[in-house]
Amino acid sequence: MKRWLLLLIPFLISFFLYQPLWGQDEEDYPEEPIVFTKPVKAVVFDHKKHVEDAGLSCDDCHDELFEMAAGTAEENDDFNMEALYNGKYCGACHNGEMAFASNRKCTTCHIGVLGWQRMQGKGKKEEKHH
Amino acid sequence: MDLKKFGEWLKSLKNEGVEHLPVEERRSFLKLGLKVTGVFAGGTVLSLVSKVEEVFGAAPEYVDKFPYKPHYSMVLITDRCVDCQLCMDACVQTNHVPPYGWRTKIFERRLVVGPGETARQFMPVLCNHCNIPPCVRVCPTKATFKDKKTGIVRMNPKKCIGCKTCMVACPYNMRYFNEERRAVDKCDFCWESRLSKGEKLTACAAACPAGVRIFGDLSDPKSKVYKIVHDPSRVVWVLRPETGAKPNVFYTIDGLG
Repeated sequence: MKRWLLLLIPFLISFFLYQPLWGQDEEDYPEEPIVFTKPVKAVVFDHKKHVEDAGLSCDDCHDELFEMAAGTAEENDDFNMEALYNGKYCGACHNGEMAFASNRKCTTCHIGVLGWQRMQGKGKKEEKHH
Repeated sequence: MDLKKFGEWLKSLKNEGVEHLPVEERRSFLKLGLKVTGVFAGGTVLSLVSKVEEVFGAAPEYVDKFPYKPHYSMVLITDRCVDCQLCMDACVQTNHVPPYGWRTKIFERRLVVGPGETARQFMPVLCNHCNIPPCVRVCPTKATFKDKKTGIVRMNPKKCIGCKTCMVACPYNMRYFNEERRAVDKCDFCWESRLSKGEKLTACAAACPAGVRIFGDLSDPKSKVYKIVHDPSRVVWVLRPETGAKPNVFYTIDGLG
């Protein structure tokens, strides 16, 4: 009987090492890009690009720069470009050294109302009435 | 008048067609002391570098003197634009623009910046308040006119018969027919809603959070628009210069990459 238990121990240890009981798996991020609509419409954030291409892990940004729950940062009054220039939110990396500076390449993240509508599948709306 | 005389009279008229305009246009720009530095977007956008003091938005006969005082003008620093459309919202609110109409729009285009690499660019467009406005030229009732003092292309809705010829004539598609007013409506640089009441900026320029829309008096060397348009280190261009309309809305970039 005791021998059976001893055999189980290595399996249990390896299971706990592989699968943490709390937190998410590194590959388990939202597939759909996040779209911020405050304070201006609209800014896109793609988890895939930042995890796969830039090689960031969850706790590089969560929960110090951004809460896990989507839409939390948008509710803050200081969620604006000024804060980014001071190294908050996206500005922590987008400072010109780690990633392109927050005051450059505006339209890389700012997709605008047009881009936002296109994502919602309303892109053809403009051309209809002609 | 008999037919023969009429025929001769017709032949004696000067051809106003646009087919020869591009060359002439370029020549008149050069006469103004401008260097053509490049042609973008299939020749519809000319990039020009100002070499002299004179403003190149003005017609040659206006060189050295501004026809209007104040000479209202707008510069659009187009790579600052993020298409948040706060300018459009402010315009709609201020000027009571119906949902089917527009006084200003934002367009989007993709610029090729490298092999397989593109960048998004937004381009706000509004009435260019041309010095030689094609819309004024074609209006049969003089309902649309160039304000003699400020140079703003304005509308008198009472005179408008709704023939929409001006809408066809406008090189920038910045006119729409307002069903409620039974008249064509357009941007008037917020003359009626703001400037005539003592405000210094248009609603769109005041609402822009990114400093895209620079509005001011082009005849005032201290104004920001004057400084940008006459800055020799900047590439400044106008939309569709080949139409010969001599617009007063200028485009430039900050080079934000």
